[in-house]
Amino acid sequence: MSVDKEVEVKFKVFRFNPKIDFVPRWQEYNVRVDKSTTILDALLKIKEEQDPTLTIRYSCRQAVCGSCGMMINDKQMLACFTRVLELGSSVVKVAPLKNYRIIKDLVTDFEELFQKERQVKPYVIRHEVEELLNPTGTYKQTEDELLGYIQFADCIECGMCSSACPVSATDPLYLGPMVLNRAYRFISDPRDLGLEQRLEVIDSEHGCWRCHFAASCSAVCPKGVDPAKAIQLLRRMLVKKAVLGTSSSKKVDLIPMGHIKGKLELPKGWQ
Amino acid sequence: MKESKRMFLHYVSGLIILVTGFIHLISNNLPGIGTAIHESAIYPVNLIVLLSALMYHMLNGARVILMELIPGRCAAKAITWIVFLVGIALYIYGLQVFLNLFWPVE
Repeated sequence: MSVDKEVEVKFKVFRFNPKIDFVPRWQEYNVRVDKSTTILDALLKIKEEQDPTLTIRYSCRQAVCGSCGMMINDKQMLACFTRVLELGSSVVKVAPLKNYRIIKDLVTDFEELFQKERQVKPYVIRHEVEELLNPTGTYKQTEDELLGYIQFADCIECGMCSSACPVSATDPLYLGPMVLNRAYRFISDPRDLGLEQRLEVIDSEHGCWRCHFAASCSAVCPKGVDPAKAIQLLRRMLVKKAVLGTSSSKKVDLIPMGHIKGKLELPKGWQ
Repeated sequence: MKESKRMFLHYVSGLIILVTGFIHLISNNLPGIGTAIHESAIYPVNLIVLLSALMYHMLNGARVILMELIPGRCAAKAITWIVFLVGIALYIYGLQVFLNLFWPVE
């Protein structure tokens, strides 16, 4: 297959509208693609030229927003980050991500995933309310401290890891690799003091202990994040805490910065 | 008990099974040191420790499998309690068999 000129590729696209259809079906489209055409380009071409009813979700087109994750030839991939001809196949099968409710065609519902994410409080938790309201400086962290969690901070929340996870497929209450990775990212942040607040969720029957370490989450991550490693590190931290009864005492210095002047107001009901 | 403590005990009991199982095999199959172990108090004590570790490891494994087969927060709690009660009953039975075997009441 030459990659210099346009070639015709057959797309088998999963079609399903839960409001109308009883069962899903596969619809075939022929699309002319060149070496630069991504799966997303091809799907948009189908939508523009052949079938405007095809539903897809996308946003940034550069593997940053994580909106266009889907099953491409039975593997979790970002449609905007996958070139058609790089697949080396004359037939491309496109389906919605597994382990999620289908809204329509290739669009899946992430609401449950984001609800689970909210449970682990995916933000830096500090106790100094006065400093949060009237910031006077910035919290210092060393390069080594940053390197301790920066890899896990690259997550774009595309949900492909949870789609590839065999435990997420069978246990709907399991937090899943994305959420546990997010939890570890903040717990390992030297500025964060929220471990105790997250323990109830991550150290539960459906928390990090249900991981079977299949590592398929790490294999499909488009950003090179290693959620399987994050889960193992989370387990190590929890065992240490359970056995020794200690957690790492974090102390970060506040570097005063004269130009930071601002008064924040607490939202209603915030404590 | 928190899940981290349960799973830590799961790992520890796995290691104990390895060690006590090895001692049990030696004492039953190796002449010399094996016979010496078999005839000393180490043998029944080792068996009781093996039983304890095996029971915990096996039942916790069963609990995890059942929790994944039957999802739900209530189901998880019910499974934990059922497995715990079954474990206690089996452990008392096993212990009583060993005690009768090694230290029979006249």
